[in-house]
Amino acid sequence: MAETPTTVLFDELRADQVELVGGKCANLGELTGAGFPVPPGFAVTTAAYERDDIGDAVSEAYAELGRRVGQSDPPVAVRSSAIAEDMPDASFAGVQDTYLWICGADAVLDGVRRCWASFHNPEAVAYREAHAITRAGMSVAVQYMVDARVAGVMFTLNPVSGDRSSIAIDASYGLGVSVVGGEVTPDSFLVSKVTREIVRRQIGAKATEVVADVEAATTVERDVPEELRTEPCVSDEEIGRLVELGRGIEAHYGRPQDVEWAIDRESGALFILQSRPETVWSNKPRPQAVAGGAMALITATMSGRKVTPGE
Amino acid sequence: MTEVQQSAAGFASPFDVPTPPGAEGWEEMYPYYLLFDDARRDEDDARFWFYNGMHFPEPMPAFDMITAESCYLSIGRYQGRVFSIPTVLGIEHRVVNGYVYITANEVTDPQLIEQRLATFLPRIGFYYENWDSLVDRWQSEVDARIRELGELQVPALPELEDENEAIHEQRLGPNYRLIAAYDRTLQLYNELNQLHFELLLLAYGAYLTCFQFCGQAFPAMGMQTMTQMIGGDDHTMFRPDDELKALARSALDHGVDGAFVDGRGHEEIVAELEQSDAGRAWLEDLESRKHPWFFMSTGDGFYHHHRAWVDDLRLPFTAITGYIAQIHAGRSLDRPKERLLAERDRIAAEYSQLLGSDEERASFEEMLGLCRHVFPHAEGHKFFIEHWGTSLFFNKMREIGAVMAEHGFFESADDVFYLNIHEVHEALSDLGLAWSGGTAARGTVYWPPRVARRKEILARLSEWTPPPALGFVPEVITDPTVQLLWGVTADRLRAWASQSDDEGITGYAASPGVAEGLARVVRDVNDIGTVQQDEVLVCSVTAPSWGPVFPKIAAAVSDIGGMMSHAAIVAREYGLPAVVGTGHATKLIKTGDRVRVDGDNGTVTILT
Repeated sequence: MAETPTTVLFDELRADQVELVGGKCANLGELTGAGFPVPPGFAVTTAAYERDDIGDAVSEAYAELGRRVGQSDPPVAVRSSAIAEDMPDASFAGVQDTYLWICGADAVLDGVRRCWASFHNPEAVAYREAHAITRAGMSVAVQYMVDARVAGVMFTLNPVSGDRSSIAIDASYGLGVSVVGGEVTPDSFLVSKVTREIVRRQIGAKATEVVADVEAATTVERDVPEELRTEPCVSDEEIGRLVELGRGIEAHYGRPQDVEWAIDRESGALFILQSRPETVWSNKPRPQAVAGGAMALITATMSGRKVTPGE
Repeated sequence: MTEVQQSAAGFASPFDVPTPPGAEGWEEMYPYYLLFDDARRDEDDARFWFYNGMHFPEPMPAFDMITAESCYLSIGRYQGRVFSIPTVLGIEHRVVNGYVYITANEVTDPQLIEQRLATFLPRIGFYYENWDSLVDRWQSEVDARIRELGELQVPALPELEDENEAIHEQRLGPNYRLIAAYDRTLQLYNELNQLHFELLLLAYGAYLTCFQFCGQAFPAMGMQTMTQMIGGDDHTMFRPDDELKALARSALDHGVDGAFVDGRGHEEIVAELEQSDAGRAWLEDLESRKHPWFFMSTGDGFYHHHRAWVDDLRLPFTAITGYIAQIHAGRSLDRPKERLLAERDRIAAEYSQLLGSDEERASFEEMLGLCRHVFPHAEGHKFFIEHWGTSLFFNKMREIGAVMAEHGFFESADDVFYLNIHEVHEALSDLGLAWSGGTAARGTVYWPPRVARRKEILARLSEWTPPPALGFVPEVITDPTVQLLWGVTADRLRAWASQSDDEGITGYAASPGVAEGLARVVRDVNDIGTVQQDEVLVCSVTAPSWGPVFPKIAAAVSDIGGMMSHAAIVAREYGLPAVVGTGHATKLIKTGDRVRVDGDNGTVTILT
């Protein structure tokens, strides 16, 4: 029997390898394999957690990543990927640690070890207890980092009403951490999943952004220039591309998704940083419309009753 | 300008609306039963009245009030007494400062609703089940009346009657036959409107149900998507426009397209065409295509001055000129039928897939199928009733008006439209008696000053802005027709009640996209020919017959209009942004202003 590997590249992973690489990495592998634009990366497996010396394997995988993107010491995000994370019944969103704009093999290894340590932090333990999660096991995702001009979150349903014909997009300048962490009021768009029409757009304050400090190999927060704050940070064309990707990812998984995305500063290319099942509305029973076909519906309407239980 | 005082609780009482200066005495134009009367003040004050600007965007000339009366004679009957719609008895109308206000008599007693439901179901079931044969029956009834209206003879009143006619043929007196012709003209118009609502209300009932279902299942689905899922391409209202496209192609085939230059009047074009064989051949083609498709009103078919194309060639010639320019520019005139239908079906299928269960999908698809089935009638009826039938009706009245003018009642035949339907009857009795008695009619001195005064009153009233609603604001509005046709919901009312001019211009996002351009404000549909290439059309009401100007414009904005309006569909077809139902765009925007029309969000911004 071949020994369980210490690292696995995303493009060799599939969704059913959760036990080996945790939820996040398995999803990233699945998305990569399905052809979605996921920045390349690798998983440090749950098996590696048990091993003493993983330095060589991680350095080698990191070097391979560097060759793929044509950069030595490429910037990466190092994030936890627990077995029970990003699953349809529990998101674990934000409970475990993430390290951004990490450059160099030693720094990557350090990040991996810190992620492992976070597995035992009080928030993570409490979350597992609250969700009665007994399966434990921690993998780490090391993913090439996009120097994002804008980034954000996309739900392939309306997270407020549960309306599955809508796609909700929050977007702000810089790395997605500002949006995910709630540090800015992002631009917010509601788009029809079917017609692609932008149904509602709200321009947020977007006062600050988190960007890479390439020299110092870290991220910094800075003010967004006044004139950019009142402008939408994404164009309608970019929203259109996002919606197409959202539709595609939802269709691939067969259920509504919560997607993190970024647009590269230089190329303008759109990347999917992760996608997980939407967990709030998807697990609720859906209200049913009046039964009995068209005549029953007409009767209900003409009698002043609602035809679906709706709001 | 006189402003209506708005009460804190909602809208002004209909009894407290001041008359605009110079319009005093406007009430005399209309029958007593259409006025707010102090004798029924308590009752009427407690009701909610809204301005039906969608159908009646201008103050009503005395005679034209029949278009409202004739419709309401029929709508309430079908709602209340034929179909027994559970929640509504009927619609009433009144006139305030020349504008039409309506109210729905809703049923709120749950027991009565249940009782009415028992009658409602089998009756509407019969209609939906036998739709196609009932549409055929409807069509033959309508055709017969249109034919009779077209053929109806209006006799002249000669000095001395023809011997043969009077003695040997024993014909009844032309003075009597003139009165009879008027009676029959009025009857035929009323009969067309009796038929008008037989099937239409059921089509709207199906739409409304579908809209409610979609609106609740998919809160973000816009009205335009709902109408897009229902709309088909193949109905009679497209036919007149298709004829104009055919005439544009014909002009190229005959090699006479050079005569059609933008900004040139139709008389000038016709004069040039008459000079050559090819031009005369094209004019023959024009004649052959006029009947009946040029009986298309430049408006919605509710005012005498909205002339049909057959009587006013400005709009069709403007359109033909535009189509020829499109052909020259290499653009296709064909509607992208297949693409539109494929997109319609894709959207419907995707929404269906998003529903929660197979049972819901089955209901949705059955409902949508029913809506699509009734759609051609709901759109196509307009050509026969509002356009062809109504244009013939007003033209017949012009013939009668011409006889009256000849005998000194009026300066011109069109003055007859400043008398209401009952007054015309009186005046014809007066004329008939005077002709028989051998004297000049009393009307020759009685009517001219009154007609002059009424024209002045109407001019003053047209400068006045009618408030969107009057009276008591209800908690909820249950009448489905009111919701559907006028988009009047309790929320919309509250928005109206708090609306002020400086909050910008908002309305229904009728067709997506954003466009900027110079505004062309068109208050009178007869001025539609003034619209220039790439301008933004700003009008009080969008009418179906305006389709031909759409290729020229960058965007469309209207004061009044629902999502089901033909113009909204046409705007989407041409991919033009449109915002309808803004309430007051024509008052705030001036011709030449640079405006941005946002058809995604339903807003219009004045940039300069």
